[in-house]
Amino acid sequence: MTAYIVRRLVQVVVTIFFALTFLFLLYFALPGDAATLLAGGDGRVPDPVTVRQVQDRYGLDDPLPTQLASYWQRLVQGDLGQSYQSGRDVTSLLLEAAPRSIRLSIWAIMIEVVVGISVGLISAVRRSSLIDRLSTAVTAMASAVPVFVLAFVLQYLFAVIPEDQGWADFFRFETSGRGDDTWLLFFIPTGNTWRYLVLPAVTLASVSAALAARTARGSMLEVLGADFMRTAKAKGLRDREVLAKHGLRNAMLPVVALIGLDFGTSIGAAVLTETAFSWGGLGFYIAESVRRRDLPVLLGFTTVVVLAYCLINLLVDICYAWFDPRVRLRAGTAK
Amino acid sequence: MRGKRRLATMMALFLAFALIAAGCGSDDSGTGSDSSSAATNGDGGSDESTPTTDAASDTVGGGGTLTLGAEQEPDCMDWINTCAGSSWGSWMVNYQVMPRAFDFAKEGDAWVYEPSVLLAGEPEVTSNPQVVTYKLNPDAVWDDKTPITCKDFIYTWEQVAKGEDVYDPSGYVDIASVEATDDTTCKVTFSKPYAGWKSLFGGLYGVQPAHLLEGKDRNAEMKDGYKFSGGPFKLESWEKGTAITLVPNENYWGPKAKPDKVIFKLIPDTAAAFQAFKAGEVLAIYPQPQIDAIEQINAGLDDVTSVISADTGNLEALWMNNGKAPFDSVAVRQAFGYALDRDAIVKRLFGGIGVEAAVNSLNPPILSALADNAAWSGYKLDLAKVDELMTGDGWAKGADGIWAKGGQRASIEFKTTAGNKRRELTQQIVQEQAKAAGFELTINNQKAGDLFGQQLPAGDFQLALYAQVLTNLEPANCGLFCSKNIPTDANGNTGQNWTRTNIPALDPLLEEVDATVDDAARAKANKEADKIQAENMVSLPLDPLPNIGLVSKKIKGDVEENPITSVFGNLYQWSLN
Repeated sequence: MTAYIVRRLVQVVVTIFFALTFLFLLYFALPGDAATLLAGGDGRVPDPVTVRQVQDRYGLDDPLPTQLASYWQRLVQGDLGQSYQSGRDVTSLLLEAAPRSIRLSIWAIMIEVVVGISVGLISAVRRSSLIDRLSTAVTAMASAVPVFVLAFVLQYLFAVIPEDQGWADFFRFETSGRGDDTWLLFFIPTGNTWRYLVLPAVTLASVSAALAARTARGSMLEVLGADFMRTAKAKGLRDREVLAKHGLRNAMLPVVALIGLDFGTSIGAAVLTETAFSWGGLGFYIAESVRRRDLPVLLGFTTVVVLAYCLINLLVDICYAWFDPRVRLRAGTAK
Repeated sequence: MRGKRRLATMMALFLAFALIAAGCGSDDSGTGSDSSSAATNGDGGSDESTPTTDAASDTVGGGGTLTLGAEQEPDCMDWINTCAGSSWGSWMVNYQVMPRAFDFAKEGDAWVYEPSVLLAGEPEVTSNPQVVTYKLNPDAVWDDKTPITCKDFIYTWEQVAKGEDVYDPSGYVDIASVEATDDTTCKVTFSKPYAGWKSLFGGLYGVQPAHLLEGKDRNAEMKDGYKFSGGPFKLESWEKGTAITLVPNENYWGPKAKPDKVIFKLIPDTAAAFQAFKAGEVLAIYPQPQIDAIEQINAGLDDVTSVISADTGNLEALWMNNGKAPFDSVAVRQAFGYALDRDAIVKRLFGGIGVEAAVNSLNPPILSALADNAAWSGYKLDLAKVDELMTGDGWAKGADGIWAKGGQRASIEFKTTAGNKRRELTQQIVQEQAKAAGFELTINNQKAGDLFGQQLPAGDFQLALYAQVLTNLEPANCGLFCSKNIPTDANGNTGQNWTRTNIPALDPLLEEVDATVDDAARAKANKEADKIQAENMVSLPLDPLPNIGLVSKKIKGDVEENPITSVFGNLYQWSLN
């Protein structure tokens, strides 16, 4: 198992290296450049002298390989640099933004787990019933609707219409920002914060919850037809016990893997969700840094996202190996 | 097994606890103390129907909490530094908290400088050398009640003229000295005539407090926000990535701010900003005139005061390279002017918000008092005129319908900043119209950095679409059109006459505009320059990039668009109904 983990960690480092190098190069293919914007060129023609000063200061006119080497040199020393735009340490920006994204992701995952898996399981157990057909249609639709479309539909239904109709505050949700931004035990919203949390969390959870439901349904249907389930029933166990003790654990294996992957995917989807809801997390800053050509922020935040994605998947793999000894055995054989 | 049950029980309890905590939150909000609501009354209630009294100008607050949308967050609040280039930073904070010598006011149809409450009256100006004597209002104080004096002017001048990383030192570097005759009299002597002196000690930088900043690192003190104020508001907080909050400056000597609090909520995405506005979460937005914003307005907004103004400091034009074929020929440039229906283009872009007429001067609309606003009005779609001018210049149409001369087709490369949907649409319309007149336009869009940083200065273009944006009421035409400012080795290639305009009769007029302090003489010279530029068709003005302010009718007070200070320029007068 140790060798397995070490091997995976090496893969994580290699993945991060290629991801960031690719992103660095991609950045220079974007329209617009940092020097012009930094010199006040967002909406006006900047003073060329100032543009040159900015290029000199940040080395933006250095050859690309020099800039890339310089970036990696700083990164291996733990220096994520400073924002071109605000001059603030990327690390401090990260410390502000990461908790916001983590909170949002936690709630999205909880919705995914509770709603997605429940719907999937009920659908499987009541196969071909009205509930099954309805849930299949809804999950298919939820998987197909783009996140930003869903965001605006939810905003319209739960914020714009209540405002137009003059509904009481209790029935309204907020479309942007984070409100009081007060939390208990890190992730439990207090004060009016929940009003701001609900719509982005549901939006972020939508696609993954739908996928979880479909995976859980498929997996459960497969398990329900397995020999050990018939054996359990033949032993005289009640249906509920058969499902809970034998069906659920086996059906959950692919769902657990999916949830792990979803955590990484949710950070990607968070770029759209956080932008649509002005949430101010990692996704929001990544989108802003692309728009404003703020390379240090873009790379710093992406580093964290890639790192989180890789580590979470590593954890999922380890969990998976724990759930399914065959995975561990293969790792051992490889050793 | 027992352990698993215990774990499940604990998790259930934990989730229940989480739900209860969230539920408690809902109760708090339900009482109406929701501080995030866009429209909350000053006494903490949230009853939007409760009218606030029309506070007298000497009464601070009482106007409730106003939550407004902001498209962009400033990168820093050290206004002198290059990091403070964001217009939003100026609109939200700078113009609300920094004292300035002159305000921007409308007089008839024209925007003019008007002495602000910082001054006791119009400064005295003498020539040879140019000396401006400011008489400061003795009541003018910083929020800590320290008087605003000439020391603050001296400090501001030194920081801008002699500092590093200065956003734009224009004018300040032409000052030879700033002296305090007494505490409230400040004598500014220029080393050479500077006609735009009214833009100094205001505008981008305001006047900075010497008693708080002298001897300190100004950038460190101000970049992340600061508490001092010499305006109607002061900054209460800047929550990065989220919101900027202003509260009234109780010691402001001018008209007091009516709102109890102003929260600028950061919503960079235009569609999201419209949703927040329609949901009543923000009471005003100030979107850029992009296609999606115009579509949203056309779709209809209820209970909204729309302030749409074509009277802006912006001028978007089709800039022609006068030094490169085929636009090195006056006849071709003029023919191109007759090839386009500019009004139709503007109507297609901005007709939905009521802006339907093209600009007819190379001065942005806010400089209308100094411009010949009809200089280009003769250039209307006239294909017979195109034929006459082109054939007169030796061109003939080929079988493909495109003009050609000496084996060269009238094929023109057309550049703008890549990724701007509105500009790309403009290009398509221009391309179509030009083709009907016998000009072939090939679109080749560029990164903004490449276009502005390299290609335009190097003259590597034939036709380009971009905007000039003013942040004050000073024409900058000599910089753009005097022959001495064509980028050459002689001026270190820093000249900004990218169109390579070289008209001997134009130079002295534009130089006079920059040097004379006599407003009437300036206007006369500038109007004459406009006329000459139109006759020579140095470039083709197109649209004013209209400003769009959308304000909920819940807000009481004058809602008006100021092309420099934005729709938030008179925020201090706003309150809730």
